[in-house]
Amino acid sequence: MPRYAMVIDQSRCIGCMACVVACKRENDVPPEHYRTRVLEMVQGTFPDLTTEMRSELCNHCDKAPCVNICPTGASHHEEDGTVQIDRKKCVGCKACITSCPYNARHINKELGVADKCTFCQHRLIEGKKPACVATCVGGSRIFGDLDDPNSEISVLLRKTSHRVLKKSIGTGPNVYYINQYPTRS
Amino acid sequence: MAFSRRNFLKFAAMSAGGAVLADTPFISAEARAKAEGGNVKYVPTSCEMCFWKCGAIAKVVDGKVVKLEGNPYHPQSRGKLCARGQGGIGQLYDEDRLKHPMILEGKRGEGKYRKASWDEALDYVAKKMKAIAAKHGPEAIAMMSHGSSGDYITNVLKAMGSRNIAFPSFAQCKGIRDEAWLLTYGHKPGSSCEQVDLENSRVIVLIGTHLGENMHNSQNQEFAEAVGRGAKIICVDPRYSTAASKSSFWLPIKPGTDTALLLAWINIVISEELYDKEYVEKYTVGLEEVKEAVKKYTPEWAAQETELPMRQIIESVHELCRYAPNVVVHPGRHYSWYGNDTQRARAVAILNALLGTWGRKGGMWLPPKAKFAKFNDGAPAYPPASKPPLIRGDFPFAGGAGVTQVLRDATITGNPYPIKAWFVAGTNLMKALPNQEKTQDAIDNLDLLVAVDIMPTETVMLADVILPECTYLERHDGLYKIKTREAGVAIRQPAVEPMYETKPAWWIGSELCKKLGLDQYAVKGNGMDAWEGRMRRQAKAWGIDFDKLSKDTGYVTIPGSERPYITADNQPFFDTFSEKINLYSEALEEEGFDPVPQYEEVEQPPKDMFRLIYGRSPVHTFSRTINTQWLWELQKENEVWLNKKEAKRLGVKNGQYVRLENQDGMRCNKIKAKVTERIRHDCVYMVHGFGHNAPQMTRADGSGADDQKLITKYIEDPITGGTGMRVNFVKIIKEA
Amino acid sequence: MELSITGTNAITYPVVHVWDWRVAIYLFLGGLAGGLMTMSAINYLRPGKKCGPMQSVCCWQIPVLAPILLSIGLFFLWLDLERKLHGHLFYMTFKPLSPMSWGAWIVLIIYPLMILYALAALPDEVKVRIKNAFIKNTADALAPHLAKLAKFNLVFGVLLAIYTGILLSTFVARPLWNSAILPLLFLASGMSTGAAVMIIVAKNKEVKLFFTKLDIWLILGELLIIALLFYGHYTGDAAHQAAIMPFFNSSHDTFPYFLSIVTIGIVLPLAIVMKFLEVTGKHTDEVTGFGLFLMNSSAVLVLIGGAVIRFALVYAGQLSGYGYVMM
Repeated sequence: MPRYAMVIDQSRCIGCMACVVACKRENDVPPEHYRTRVLEMVQGTFPDLTTEMRSELCNHCDKAPCVNICPTGASHHEEDGTVQIDRKKCVGCKACITSCPYNARHINKELGVADKCTFCQHRLIEGKKPACVATCVGGSRIFGDLDDPNSEISVLLRKTSHRVLKKSIGTGPNVYYINQYPTRS
Repeated sequence: MAFSRRNFLKFAAMSAGGAVLADTPFISAEARAKAEGGNVKYVPTSCEMCFWKCGAIAKVVDGKVVKLEGNPYHPQSRGKLCARGQGGIGQLYDEDRLKHPMILEGKRGEGKYRKASWDEALDYVAKKMKAIAAKHGPEAIAMMSHGSSGDYITNVLKAMGSRNIAFPSFAQCKGIRDEAWLLTYGHKPGSSCEQVDLENSRVIVLIGTHLGENMHNSQNQEFAEAVGRGAKIICVDPRYSTAASKSSFWLPIKPGTDTALLLAWINIVISEELYDKEYVEKYTVGLEEVKEAVKKYTPEWAAQETELPMRQIIESVHELCRYAPNVVVHPGRHYSWYGNDTQRARAVAILNALLGTWGRKGGMWLPPKAKFAKFNDGAPAYPPASKPPLIRGDFPFAGGAGVTQVLRDATITGNPYPIKAWFVAGTNLMKALPNQEKTQDAIDNLDLLVAVDIMPTETVMLADVILPECTYLERHDGLYKIKTREAGVAIRQPAVEPMYETKPAWWIGSELCKKLGLDQYAVKGNGMDAWEGRMRRQAKAWGIDFDKLSKDTGYVTIPGSERPYITADNQPFFDTFSEKINLYSEALEEEGFDPVPQYEEVEQPPKDMFRLIYGRSPVHTFSRTINTQWLWELQKENEVWLNKKEAKRLGVKNGQYVRLENQDGMRCNKIKAKVTERIRHDCVYMVHGFGHNAPQMTRADGSGADDQKLITKYIEDPITGGTGMRVNFVKIIKEA
Repeated sequence: MELSITGTNAITYPVVHVWDWRVAIYLFLGGLAGGLMTMSAINYLRPGKKCGPMQSVCCWQIPVLAPILLSIGLFFLWLDLERKLHGHLFYMTFKPLSPMSWGAWIVLIIYPLMILYALAALPDEVKVRIKNAFIKNTADALAPHLAKLAKFNLVFGVLLAIYTGILLSTFVARPLWNSAILPLLFLASGMSTGAAVMIIVAKNKEVKLFFTKLDIWLILGELLIIALLFYGHYTGDAAHQAAIMPFFNSSHDTFPYFLSIVTIGIVLPLAIVMKFLEVTGKHTDEVTGFGLFLMNSSAVLVLIGGAVIRFALVYAGQLSGYGYVMM
């Protein structure tokens, strides 16, 4: 079984938001709700400025607080390492939303269930990459199998210094960030 | 996992070589649909959320478009779509769309219309057109257009004998640049896209080109690739744009002084002999004249003029020369800034020539070689223009795409001859042209204004007759010649049937021809598949397999057309008199213009006023997409960027609503202030296209501010007729 | 730092706002119900009680009240569910690591205990008025087991009250809640409010005085635990430090939290003082009007304090987090 993960090369993110819209359409996310977001953080004073572009989504944590807290087993780990929500089992208690340190979840008001990124599991089944990755104009989102040492992400993670978000919380996230800022002259 | 192994294998086998996680495996639209079963259909087509014409694949389930993806075969999309392309479904299913033909009842601008049948509406238009042509001549019927739909109406006008057709994309955008490059290289810097080889560039210079915010798909893919690879970006922009954030050199230049920087760079390149000597010798003429003409533009002088550190000016150009010729100074796109823009574009073209970028890896690739057989489906040649068209005005180098404001002026004055009817297709003139008052005056002078559009924009709602076009997902358009590194042909075809009573523009144009008694210019055949028949004939004439194009790949390559770089047996051809790159332009000299660009100062804002500059958002295309649900959600209103220190001085807080008032006392809607370190102190910036005054567009109406409203002043470029629009100054008025 | 985010959800941005007053009410009533179970059992089991000749507990209303309050609390919790008709899903599985799941199952154990205890504790004069023979017979049959049931109620009352705090304390994402002290605070508060209700309901002066005395210790404990909770956060990492800031910042945005800590700071010490006055005063067998006023009003203050603690923590806890921008 694969162990899916995503690598985000922040230097390639140009903030075009294609991922955000692709995700919404692919997964029929209701208006004003999102499963992924893009942050733009600018620091410094004119004209010495630096920027970090960061797209965020469910981290499909190894030790996912949402899976832990879920009283009905709706939120669960699958064999491929992803965290998924079984909508039939979700009662909408929202504990998982509160429990997520990444604020990656929301309520799908149309269905009354918790909702979040699935890594486009339905596309993975068809051998396609997640919608956000497939359309990432900058090639900033890279997806693959950590258990395959030759996968693009495995190679990247071996070669590049990387980090995960809020590592100290200890949730074991599976979205990795690499960032090589341009050196400014 | 929640899928059967059988299912998995089925899809795995489908994707190329059985590889899982291929990039959107796309074997054949038909085969893919079959594998998924049910009522799934995949339709390859071309996107029109902007005008880059990406290849898109529409996934249709039970007769509804549910997803759009990039066509991996198409070089403009490469399997990807931007936010707007992904959000195209929102335009298709926008409940605010124009739904049926309408004829004005009462006065223009009151918005009172009666629903009409197509027959009635087209009869009405034809009758009026005939009357106007009879009284004033066919040239009194003019047209302004953007996008595919205009082509079919153009056909009607030309068939009648009018050539008064203009595209705002010329004088309000990139026409200036194209003419400057034609003067220099005998080529535009690109047709389908700029010929920049970004993915192989070592250094990329962007002057006011905000890639990342200016979301042209494939170009941004290459830009990100370059950044990811570690290419150096030199970004010249008074604003810390997304592109600036990726740059090694950000040059926050004083607005209006770009040419000073370029001329100083050219001076450094020549005087320090950093240019590509062999290349310049072989392919250019006029080096000595340029050397003389730019001598006075020293780095010291430029530093003073541009308010950039001299060290930065010198170091950045040294970096550029270090990696030449695998570098490119991006030709830019929107060029109508200050009214002296042709010369700025010339300076960019000259700098590229000195660095030897044309035809070099990482520079600018050579246009593809492909011959397309002439095809007009047996229609007779157009009758000659009854009177010379006005669209070039008094501008010696105005291109064939026409200078919109000249038509507008003639409509107001009636000189040299009256213009009494306008067709407006796919462009929101109120937002596209500077000085809205003049646009309104011109419209007031018209006997007939016909709008062909999708949405009830402010311009559409001034029309006498509204002809609702269907969206790109519901119609056929031409077979498109796509000229990237290779030449190819792409298709636009409907994913679903037209909604409501909307019709494709080809049908509208064709029916109008028939009503005007110009049947020979109408599409051959009857019914809604007539155009498809024409496309088949066109494909045959071009030697293209239409079925493969329409059912399978959506794009086909012209084999052997690609020849991007100069080699011994692939020499560039420059379509100029000298058959070389004109560093020194005799053509300009003959018309009394500077043959080598010279610096002209532009007016600077008075105390307590800011220069208004504007740009684009990655999620919107001008004012066209603001009402589209999925995009509107992402950006509902624009913000005015205001330097933090200036904001403090004025007492404006971040997020506070303000209004801007320009030098002529024109005020805009309220707009949120973005107090930021990311912009110089002497200018403010906003994204163009917001601040709709179109009540029928329920989401877009009234949200944000309209920059065009504040652009009452414009300076015409004497060479090409481009309208310099960054010459307006505003002051900030706090909202109570 | 200039931050802009595209693609946020109202439920988590700009602040997490998942749970509201419904959950706060549930936590308050859940704790109170637990407190009532324990307090009523203590009252029955304590040696040397002098509360009349009844064969059962004094204040039979309390055991009856406990399941009713818990039901009201659960009703509000149910109101908070997004899929109100799918409540049964809680009972299709047991998740040993999910405090939410424990909560669902604990209720199933607690309800019978509460009801059996309430039935067993019914005094004869109430039983005669019961028309339903089954209930009456059950009550009669249970009466001999009252002591055993009381012991169970004592233990499960503590579990219920502490549980309401455990739920919140397990959220690593919400630093304000993520403290092992929090369950103790909710326990102390639950017990204290339970004692307060005992004081109000009890007719017998001896009982009232006993719980007044007991409550002094409970409130002192509660205040100590609050102080420890804040101190723990104060000495914690940046997120924990930030988590308690709303309580110490009287600006516009955080004023309700500031007000809540001021309220707790006033009502609980005031309650202690009033109770102290009452227990140290001279007592005759009859309750004086003033004495009654002191005891009842201090009890009301305790209830207010308990409710404010739940509301303040439920809301402020959601404000706390590791931020959008934190690495």
